[in-house]
Formats: sequence, C-alpha cells, structure tokens
Amino acid sequence: MRAIARIRRATIHAVLVGYLVWVVVPMAWVAASSLKSDRDIAHEPLTPWGTEGLHPENFARAWNQARLGEYFAQSVVVTAVSVIGILLLGSMAAYALSRFFHPLGRMAYWLFLAGLMIPAQLSIIPLFFELRALGLLNSLPGLILVYVANGLPFAVFILAGFFRGLPRMFYEAAIIDGCSEAAAFWRVILPLARPGLVTVAIFQFIGIWKEYFYAFMLLSGGGAEGARTLPLALANLAVTSQYRTDYGMLFAGLVIVALPILLVYVLLQKHLIKGITAGALKG
Amino acid sequence: MAQVVIENLVKVYPEKKGPGVRAVNDIDLTIEDREFMVLVGPSGCGKSTTLRMIAGLEEISAGTIRIDGRVINDVLPKDRDIAMVFQNYALYPHMTVYENMAFGLKLRKFSKADIDQRVKDAAGILGIESLLDRRPKALSGGQRQRVAVGRAIVRKPKVFLFDEPLSNLDAKMRVTMRTEIAKLHARLATTMIYVTHDQVEAMTMGDRICVMKDGNIMQVAAPLELYNRPANMFVAGFIGSPPMNFLRGTLRTSGGRLEFVENGSHAHPVHIALDEELARRGAAYVDKPIVFGIRPEDVIDTVAAGDVDPSRCAHVRVEVSEPMGHETYLYLDTGAHSFVARVRSSDRFQGGESLRVGFRLEHAHLFDPQTETAIA
Repeated sequence: MRAIARIRRATIHAVLVGYLVWVVVPMAWVAASSLKSDRDIAHEPLTPWGTEGLHPENFARAWNQARLGEYFAQSVVVTAVSVIGILLLGSMAAYALSRFFHPLGRMAYWLFLAGLMIPAQLSIIPLFFELRALGLLNSLPGLILVYVANGLPFAVFILAGFFRGLPRMFYEAAIIDGCSEAAAFWRVILPLARPGLVTVAIFQFIGIWKEYFYAFMLLSGGGAEGARTLPLALANLAVTSQYRTDYGMLFAGLVIVALPILLVYVLLQKHLIKGITAGALKG
Repeated sequence: MAQVVIENLVKVYPEKKGPGVRAVNDIDLTIEDREFMVLVGPSGCGKSTTLRMIAGLEEISAGTIRIDGRVINDVLPKDRDIAMVFQNYALYPHMTVYENMAFGLKLRKFSKADIDQRVKDAAGILGIESLLDRRPKALSGGQRQRVAVGRAIVRKPKVFLFDEPLSNLDAKMRVTMRTEIAKLHARLATTMIYVTHDQVEAMTMGDRICVMKDGNIMQVAAPLELYNRPANMFVAGFIGSPPMNFLRGTLRTSGGRLEFVENGSHAHPVHIALDEELARRGAAYVDKPIVFGIRPEDVIDTVAAGDVDPSRCAHVRVEVSEPMGHETYLYLDTGAHSFVARVRSSDRFQGGESLRVGFRLEHAHLFDPQTETAIA
C-alpha cells in the first residue's frame, strides 16, 4: 500500500518537474540569449552564456535604437486606460444587469456573452471601416476603444456572477445607512467585489499588453513614426531589420515585453486564484 | 415622539400566473412612541415583510405607513429616520468597526468630531471600545451583533428596526443579547420594532406583542395579556412553551352543571365540570362541539395535589416523561388526545404508567372549533 502511494507520488512529482522544465526552459533560453552576442546565439545556442561574454548593451540598443522605450510608454498608456475603462464600464454594466430586473436586461446579458464567442478576425473588416469613418484609425484612442469594447464581455461575465453572489443585505444596509443607489454601489458593493475586479484586471492586462492582431490591423497605417504598441514594435523589429537580424536586440526586446506580465502575475497571483474560485463558487 | 401607524397595509408579490401571493393582508397596527413592539409568528407569516416595508426595503402594495404623522410610503429609506439591525449583521467587511459605525454619519455629513463622539459613546454603551480598529471578520458572532446595534444607535434614529437579530447567535449569547437590547431600549427610550419567530424573545422583550399568521394579525397585546387571554387557538398554541393543550369535545348539562366531555369512544373520556365563569362563557355552546384549552401548568398530578376533584379529572397514561431539571414535562394520553402537563421534578413517573390528573380552571379557555376564536 505504502509503496504504491510512494510510487504514485513520485510519478506525480516527475510529471510536474517535466512540466516545469517544459515551461521554464524556453523562457530561460530567451533570457539567456538576450545577454549574448549574435555569434554566440548562433553557435552556442545551448550554453547559458556564450564565449564572448555578457552583452547587456542588447537592452540599451532595444530600448533606444529600436525605440522600445518610447513604445513601452505608449503600451503602458493603452493598457492602463483600457483596463481602467473595462473595470469601470464592466462593473457598472454587470451590477445593473445582476441587480435590477428589466425585461431587456436578460437579453443585454446574453448579448454581452455573445461577444465572448465571436473571434476578433470575424469582425475586423467592419471594425476597420467603422474606425476609419470615425477618424480613429492609427490612433491610440481608437485602439483603446476597441480594447475596452472587446474586454467588456469577459468583465461583465465575471463581475455579474460576483455581484449576484453578494448577499443583498449589504446593499440594504447601505441604503438604510443613507446611501443613494450610486453611493451604495461605489462605497459598499464595489469594494466587496475587489477579488472579481482584480481577476478581470489581471486577465485584461495580460491580454491587452501582448495583443497583436488588433494593434497590427488598426495602427499599421500610420508610418514608422506613428502610434504603436510593444508587440507591434517587436514584430516590426524582427521583420524589418535592414541587412541582418539583430538577434541579441530581439531577445532583449522580448524580455522587456514579457517582464511586466511576469511581474504582475507574481505580485497578484494570490488575488487571481481567489478571484477565480470565488467567482466559481458564488457565480 | 415617534409613533408608527400602519393602516390597511398590503404586500402582494406578483406571480407569473394568478393574483400573486399576499404576504401581508390588510393589517392595521399602531406602535406608540417609545414602545418596544415585537412582531412574532412562524416563518412566512409576513412579519419580516411588514418590517421591511417600514424600513423602505419593500415597496408597499397598498395602505399607508406613517411615522410621526408623516406618510412615508414614498420616502426613501435614508430619509425615514430609521435604523435597522439585520439577522446576518450585514457589517461592511471592508471597513473597520469604527468605519462601520461612522458610515451612516459620514454620509449625513456630520463633522469629524461629532462622528468621533457618537461612535465612542455608542461603543461605550455596548462595551466594544477595544474592537474599534478591527475588521468584522476578526469578531465573534456576539461582537458582530453588538457592532450592528452600534451602527444603528449612533444615528439616533426615531425608530429602530430589528429583523431577527439574535437568530444567528448561540443559545447562551442569545440570552445575553436579549437582556442587553431590552436594557438599551430602557436607556434610549426610542420606538423599537422587533421581529422574531421565537416566542420567548417576544415574551421577554416586548412591551406589546403582535402575533401574525399568514399575513394577518392574530392578536396585539402585552405579553401576559397574550398569555392569559389569547384571542384564538393560534395565539394560545404559539405563545408559551410547551404550548397550550387543546381537547376537542362537547358541552353537556349534567346534574344542573355544565360539563365538558371529550370526544371519542375510549374507555375513560375526560369529563370536566366547568366553573361558573367558564359555564357563563360556554352557555351558547351547550350540546355543541367545543375546544377546551388548558396550559400545561394547570394540569396537576395526584402526587402533587393529593386527590383531585373527581368532577375535574382524567385517567391518562404517561407516554414520555421529560425532566427539565426544575420541572418535568409529562406527555400524557387520554385515549383520544395527547397533552402535556408540567409537574414538579420531584414527582417521578414512568412511561406507560397510569395516572389521574386534575385541572385548574382559572386559566382554562374555551374556543369555537369552527372559527378557532376564544369564547369570551
């Protein structure tokens, strides 16, 4: 019995270690390569550090020469504004849909959910023309608008479940304490939904930070100097290097793009798990 | 002054088909200034719905509610000058105890110093000064309930509403909080309306008690009045523990006296010769079916009373004997009815034992079996 249990455990651990290696090795390889010279990347791909020493200037080149620094700032703005917009509108919509009964409310909810099922590629052509008509093509506000609209279904889905799971008595206590409907929402209900908000924020942050398709379709017309997000800039870097590909710089750029996601995930993963399970249990 | 007047109050919950569910059915009730009124009844009787209509958490389907003469049907809860304590406390988990209590005052734009004064005063009254910096999660049930009460009293409202505030506490804490709320009422001298399903809470706390059933008011009276003179079989059976015993039978004349004879064809039907008062009340029911009601403490065993009056006794069998410590409940069987006697714990009985019991008639009642109302 005991031996079987031990074998079982060992097997599980072996599988987990295998998975860890599978996930971590490519990341470590990218990180290591970002500090190598191009020659080392080509000739010593498997040694953690090459024969020509460390090349931290890869990062400087990516940041300045390839202007990732500039695009980094733009990406931060796009992502931050989009996530805030999604949380703001999503929470209000979800609250209204979960809290007040209206004959059209149910329909609106399903409409939001339908948004989850339609792939971006399907709607990109009408979206493109719409934005062009609005004069929002090749502009960050236009892209933000698309990101917010695109993120709302997920936010409404998660948060509506959350609000539905909150006991009504909190709302009632707030109303009797002297809150207006709005104050009850902002001061009592929303703080209680924090785990849900964090979940939505993390998912949307990751999604938008690395989003390529919309950015490529909606920002590419503005010329090399135009509005651009990091994934777009990075892809551009890979494709349009003039005579040869600067692999060291490319890997440094990859690290620059991936680092914030890793950081956010490590810092907030506790909330993430809490948010997902809370939504699951109460939704 | 904060008198609450309820007139023709109706609450109908709409159904998809049919006329809807009438949760509160055209009730009238006046709660006097500074009165502690308890609404009591089984679940689904409409007591909570009534309270929530007073609070403004439920829309009023018909009728009016007045606080201090002002009709509040369409007044927002925050402008009704009421405070409410919920069964599950409803403390805001993201605020400290202090913030929980200060929240209502902050919304009403009290000055910081004022808020501080009031919160500290209330905390002092409730003995929760040391908890002010804690979050609700770090409190016990009793402490949470204290904070919930504190949140209500800092506002100094005209009317306090309590919705089964002690139901979630353990038995011991319930007794403690019961007396504390009663003390609080004496101290604050404010109108309080208290909903409970527990008749002990109702009896011990209320100045008056309003007993409800199926959306109707069964009786409104002071606790002892309710106990001694129940208006109907429902109240008689609801108030008191164990509840009043009911024997179904007929009134007969026998030897010039009016006598209650139990229904049934068993060997020893209960015969009870009525006293003058009961005979006067029952005069119109001679040879008609009637319900005889008697409280367990008015059933006396032969050990306690020596011999009992043979014209007012019953031959019964002991089914179960439940020792409570200071007294014992005897579950008795006449052959047609089961009923309970409350006897001294020094008088010991065995299940299955045969026994003669007598009846003290000073607090006995007669009820009409059709309408179930008391015959006065």
